Amino acid sequence: MALKKVEYPRDLPGLLAQLADADAGVRRWAARDLAQHPKAATALCARLGVESDASVRAVLFSSATQLGGASVVNAMVQLLRSEDPGLRNGAIEVLAGLPDAVAPHIERLLHDADSDVRIFTVNLLGDLQHPNVPRWLAHVLMHDPVVNVVGAALEVLAEVGVAESLPALHAAKARFADDGYIGFSADLAIARIGSP
Amino acid sequence: MKKILVVDDAATVRMYHRKILGDAGWHTDEALNGVEALERVHAQEADTAFDLYVVDINMPRMDGYSFVRELRRLHARHQAPVVMVSTEARSQDASGAFDAGANCYLVKPARARELVLTAALLLGDRDAALKAAAGVNA
Amino acid sequence: MTVGTKPGIQAAVPPISDADFQKFAEFFYRKTGIHFDDGKRYFVDKRLVERIQATGAENFRAWFVALRFETDGAELQHLVNVMTVNETYFFREAYQFDCMVNNLLAEVVARKQPGSRVRIWSIPSSTGEEPYSIAIYLLERWPDIDRYDVEILSSDIDTAVLQSAQRGIYSKRSVAQLPHAYLKKYFTPHGADEFRISRDLVSAVEFSRVNLSDPADMRRFRDVDIIFCRNLLIYFDDLSRRVAAEAMYDTLAPGGFICLGHSESMSRMSSLYTVRRFPDAMVYQRPLEAGA
Repeated sequence: MALKKVEYPRDLPGLLAQLADADAGVRRWAARDLAQHPKAATALCARLGVESDASVRAVLFSSATQLGGASVVNAMVQLLRSEDPGLRNGAIEVLAGLPDAVAPHIERLLHDADSDVRIFTVNLLGDLQHPNVPRWLAHVLMHDPVVNVVGAALEVLAEVGVAESLPALHAAKARFADDGYIGFSADLAIARIGSP
Repeated sequence: MKKILVVDDAATVRMYHRKILGDAGWHTDEALNGVEALERVHAQEADTAFDLYVVDINMPRMDGYSFVRELRRLHARHQAPVVMVSTEARSQDASGAFDAGANCYLVKPARARELVLTAALLLGDRDAALKAAAGVNA
Repeated sequence: MTVGTKPGIQAAVPPISDADFQKFAEFFYRKTGIHFDDGKRYFVDKRLVERIQATGAENFRAWFVALRFETDGAELQHLVNVMTVNETYFFREAYQFDCMVNNLLAEVVARKQPGSRVRIWSIPSSTGEEPYSIAIYLLERWPDIDRYDVEILSSDIDTAVLQSAQRGIYSKRSVAQLPHAYLKKYFTPHGADEFRISRDLVSAVEFSRVNLSDPADMRRFRDVDIIFCRNLLIYFDDLSRRVAAEAMYDTLAPGGFICLGHSESMSRMSSLYTVRRFPDAMVYQRPLEAGA
């Protein structure tokens, strides 16, 4: 018979204990079931800092996205600075799934000293439906000193650019007149905006 | 004709790199993350395997380092030089690239000429290398 | 999703520009992995105009903005529905069944003793064409069928559809891909133009109601050797797809395989699986290492 009863404590303390079990399968199931427990958000995110198994990490990230909320967003923003690209990219995916919860952080992140954090934040803007998005992107195009941050903004504008974006697009081209990629992607975004 | 796989989650970057490499005379294909890249690799027949991989580091689902590590575990017929291209200028990221099995590391934005020259050298394409060095494909 | 309603005669939707097509094609490719090139313009443009009209949007831009930012994934699902072919029939995408009998089962049983159980799961079962196709393939094209205890499980979220599968009555169109010999062997004519599948095959499949997104439902399944999950996940939103792909991972035995629909890919869902290429098909495998 394929159908088997699985016995283990499913209450919150039991599941949290299983997050540290020696068996990756047990940890994965605990991470999965904890998506139903809002109070588990902090523990789930904390586990990401020490979990070495990729399959458990993946489920931790999925459950964090399902839980959402301010503590998840805060934890993911911390992970943006991780040295581990898997953790960084996992955090970005979670944040991309929580556009409204991440919106209050955007302004601050767009001025982060770390240009990579600014790039990740710009990438998130593509999924965020917020009245400030065009203004934020325009600001990056006109003022961010790092060419790759501007490049990230151009990538987003190729899909969501509007007529109001045009002056900033031209400004970016002028600021980085020597850069082949900036010219190429600005022209693409401009062409995609086309005629309304 | 030599064939290059461009792996990057940004559509415009893929477009740009493919245009530059295509103008230099090579055939290209693309993938938007490490998993899709592995699928492209597996989809090739033995006589049409990729000759070069141009790989971004930061991608969702499977990052560039993980892709290269997985690639290096595959059969010999899939093996080819890897150029990692990334925004990161931190020195440990370059060594991370070499540890994963990459052959070369370029910091974004890679100038068209630099990308073409690097590709030409790794492909053993002497004519393209000389052209790129002379600035014909700037 | 409704973008706006226009009373009276609706103005014609302007033709889809090249730039709009590219914007749409990139977005759709990113979301689903399905790639539309210029050769598909007529096919795609026609359907885009249909969707723009159906939602009451004024033009492509308004429709596209609403699509990108919708929270429930409903319009994307409509879009996937119109852009893909959804018919179910016997031996649909049979190259994966070929892969099963030619390669996958050999690897699966290499780790088993003769007489032990081989478990295959078809989800969604829909009206039964897929699990019964699997059964026929095993009986007719797998030489080792008698050496192992094969279990065919099939699940769907829709109980009406499960009932229909157990009734086992099919149209001419549904059985059109079957070799004539199999049709004769496993079906009897039913009414004027339908066919009823043999009761032996119906009893060979264990049907159950399962919601792929419910961990409690998924927890009931363990040690599955091969999963067929075709043309279902493509209709899910990003998060639900990930959650489902991750849950199926735990239902698989280490080394177990999963087959997705021909235009579906794990690249939009999960990196936990190893990509495996066989002569007949590309499939995904849960790694063999313990704890993986």
